[in-house]
Amino acid sequence: MPQITADDLKNIKAVYKDPRQRGARASIMLCGGSSCSTRGSLKLKETFEKELKQRNLDSEVSIYVTGCNGFCTQSPLLTLYPGGIFYESLTPEDIIQIIEQHILKGEHYSKSLYSTGKDSIAAFSDIPFFKFQTSRVLKNRGLTDPDNIDDYIGGNGYFALLKAVTETEPSAIISELKASGLRGRGGGGFPTGLKWEICKKAGSSPNNRNKYVICNAGPISRNISDTDPHSIVEGMAIAARATGASKGYIYIREPEHRFIISRMNHAVAKAKEYGLLGTKIFGTDFDFDIEVATGAGTFICGEETALISSLEGTRGFPKPKPPYPAVRGLWGKPTIVDNAETFANVPLIILNGANWFRSVGTEKSPGTKIFTLTGEVINNGLIEVPMGTTLRSIVNDLGGGMKKKRKLKAIHIGGPTGGFIPESLLDTPATFEDIVKAGAIVGSGNIIVMDDNTCMVNTAMFSMEFAKGESCGKCSPCRIGTTVMYDKLVDITEGRGKPGDIEILQDIAFEVKRTSLCGLGQTSPLAVLTTIKYFRDEYEKHINEKWCPTGRCKALTTFNIDEKACKGCTSCARKCPVGAITGEKKQPHKIDQTICIKCRTCFETCTFGSIRILGQQTGTREA
Amino acid sequence: MKGKILVVDDDNIIIRSCKGVLEPMGYDVSGTINPREALELIRDNDYDLLITDMIMPGIDGFELIKRTKELKPDTTVIAMTGYSIKETIKDTLEYGIMDYLQKPFSPNILADTVDRVTNLARKLKSQLAITEEDDVDGTHKIEAVNALIKQYKTVPGSLITVLSKTQEIIGYLPPAIQRLIAKGLRIPVSEVHSVVSFYPCYTMKVRGRHNIRVCIGAACYAKKADSIVQKLCNHLHFDEDNVTDDKKFSYELVRCLGACASAPVIEVDHDTHGTVDPDKITEILKDYN
Ligand SMILES: Cc1cc2nc3c(=O)[nH]c(=O)nc-3n(C[C@H](O)[C@H](O)[C@H](O)COP(=O)(O)O)c2cc1C
Ligand code: FES
Repeated sequence: MPQITADDLKNIKAVYKDPRQRGARASIMLCGGSSCSTRGSLKLKETFEKELKQRNLDSEVSIYVTGCNGFCTQSPLLTLYPGGIFYESLTPEDIIQIIEQHILKGEHYSKSLYSTGKDSIAAFSDIPFFKFQTSRVLKNRGLTDPDNIDDYIGGNGYFALLKAVTETEPSAIISELKASGLRGRGGGGFPTGLKWEICKKAGSSPNNRNKYVICNAGPISRNISDTDPHSIVEGMAIAARATGASKGYIYIREPEHRFIISRMNHAVAKAKEYGLLGTKIFGTDFDFDIEVATGAGTFICGEETALISSLEGTRGFPKPKPPYPAVRGLWGKPTIVDNAETFANVPLIILNGANWFRSVGTEKSPGTKIFTLTGEVINNGLIEVPMGTTLRSIVNDLGGGMKKKRKLKAIHIGGPTGGFIPESLLDTPATFEDIVKAGAIVGSGNIIVMDDNTCMVNTAMFSMEFAKGESCGKCSPCRIGTTVMYDKLVDITEGRGKPGDIEILQDIAFEVKRTSLCGLGQTSPLAVLTTIKYFRDEYEKHINEKWCPTGRCKALTTFNIDEKACKGCTSCARKCPVGAITGEKKQPHKIDQTICIKCRTCFETCTFGSIRILGQQTGTREA
Repeated sequence: MKGKILVVDDDNIIIRSCKGVLEPMGYDVSGTINPREALELIRDNDYDLLITDMIMPGIDGFELIKRTKELKPDTTVIAMTGYSIKETIKDTLEYGIMDYLQKPFSPNILADTVDRVTNLARKLKSQLAITEEDDVDGTHKIEAVNALIKQYKTVPGSLITVLSKTQEIIGYLPPAIQRLIAKGLRIPVSEVHSVVSFYPCYTMKVRGRHNIRVCIGAACYAKKADSIVQKLCNHLHFDEDNVTDDKKFSYELVRCLGACASAPVIEVDHDTHGTVDPDKITEILKDYN
């Protein structure tokens, strides 16, 4: 196709037919995201095609394979229009039933509907997991084929770029962004408009086109690249227009993420083919090109200066800031590094305006934010909610509450270097400032819900193991501090804790946070600081009583059966992997401590609560 | 048994003390003071390791090693010598001697040397097997790497791209390949090595035909990714490089695959498997041959 013009773009949109209305009788939107396709969604498509043909329905029913729908725990899944009926956990047999019952008889096929445990919900938009979401960045999820650029254009795609290139001055783009209050979605929450303005002003001559735009597409951006890669491309092109950059890179940290790499490559190639990237975009003198670059793993390369080092082909070491990359970045030139979600918000702001953007979210944190919700809640998945939604609402409304009615103990938020927020602070609104006030960070937007089976000391130790392993070694507070904290935590979890250890940990964590060179060292101590702040008594039990109340730290645990409570149901004895539990039916059982490997199976199996978790060896304390 | 060893020395005390040290360590040790008898033993048995004195009446050490290599080229050799090691080192390299024991040696040195050499030999053998297997297209792989270097020679900052693509072609980045790339891109070898050792995606070791990546990132860890690792190791037998004996599978631990919402996650080759039930790991692997 030759260079696209404004009219061409409008034409594509005008003739575009929503895949939800393509079938005369029914339109099937089959999820082809990575989770669904590994669980056989392509097989389902074949079954559909074969079975529909046999029944002569193939001309009346359309099948459309879409990008990731976001409710990956229920995969493989589909929605059926009209009605938007949601079917999950599908097998080829279910497909035949859906054709027979739903398409032919017009009845819901109840076996594969979403179920809350009590009753089932048919319509996609009524399922709490979707009902409480506000889809902006993810508006196209489950509705379009991410590899099809026309789908994106059909939903107003690239119209923001058209507006930015043909109607709007670069300075006006920046003012709009500043007015919108958009803050970086990569975790730090830096005002995006301000960053772009600094970059625009940097560089000697006003027409210096030696500037770069980089999209930081680490694993956490996998979701957007998976559902709507063109929104990233469009956002980057607008950034280039605003700052005067001529070259962009989409930096994908993990070369193993082939799925994402090929999807982004495809999107870039398509945009080039349409002339939406390249030279003389929309017939103006605006040129911009994007290249997909891959890193070689390692968490630290998510940090913007380390990312730049890696793009330059060296070890991914961060550099001291200032100078910020917006002033001196890739090859010493002014460079914008932004998160994929940040870029994906930009076209929406340019098209709909700052006021529209501010219509959800809070004053200081406007707009929506994508989180990955996982852990011990019923619904796991990718969610987009207005900023300011409380953590409680995320857990209860979207997450559907705790699994097996367990008690929530803490929320881990911010990804591997994030902190922990206890139950008591669950009403914290999910905004950049409130979460920092609670001691954690928004970070990667990963929310892990933990129940009362979690040992906080052990979890802090895991966080430190991660930090110690991922520390690049350039600055000493982070390199040495994380190792010292890790060793101390290992001591505590293995029964070598001493009074005073808590204070030492706090002091080190505080100093590492204060003096580290980059965000890794500045945030990883949060795990230690927040667990001590909110769960100090748990540390004290580990240190003073040599007792891990949850039974996670094996050295500080003995499992015992309370003879009075034991009903002799034998279920623990049957489940014990090493045969340490003996006893007659209907008689109290016993655990042989010399055989027990402290795997917690009996504790989790017993429905009478008769397994007691006691302290180290002597077993003096009771849970 | 850790390995079968033959000790040849004209001094019976040496043989006895070798037996005394190595047998409790789990080695099967035989000995003889007669080099001719040694050759017969070597012909009739499959020894992993020959420990021989160099100066003996009749057939000397060099002769014995030479004939051993003719009979059983796979046998690993440690030479015992009373002389300074430096003097003989050049000659004996030609004979395929793996290591030296300078007399008199302590039991500790004997134990360490034997352990090290047998481990090394085992590794070399497995690598040799691979290179032989691959030799058919070995040259063609090197050609592909050379073409890659040529393509990126003038692109600044292309080292990471070249290394990633090379690893895709060869499967790993052995030192020789690193040197090749350094020379081609005109970068110091030390810098290439520093980059290779910095990034977790690069490996200097042979991987299995199917590489399993178990995520132990925060979300997956919270969902008990460690029991996946445990089940995996119970099910398949991995060596110290985390590769199975038949080189079919290898595994590595990674931090966050970016699919946290479906934790715990593993990747086999390039397929992502979410919400993995540790007990079903064998079922997942069934599809990979
Ligand atoms: C250790 C570490 C890892 C990071 N990982 C990522 C990442 O995976 N993706 C990302 O967008 N930002 C990541 N960041 C934040 C970036 O440094 C940077 O702030 C961000 O890309 C800026 O974009 P934004 O303003 O759009 O948020 C990371 C920071 C640190 C310190
Ligand atoms: S922690 Fe495993 S995919 Fe993110």
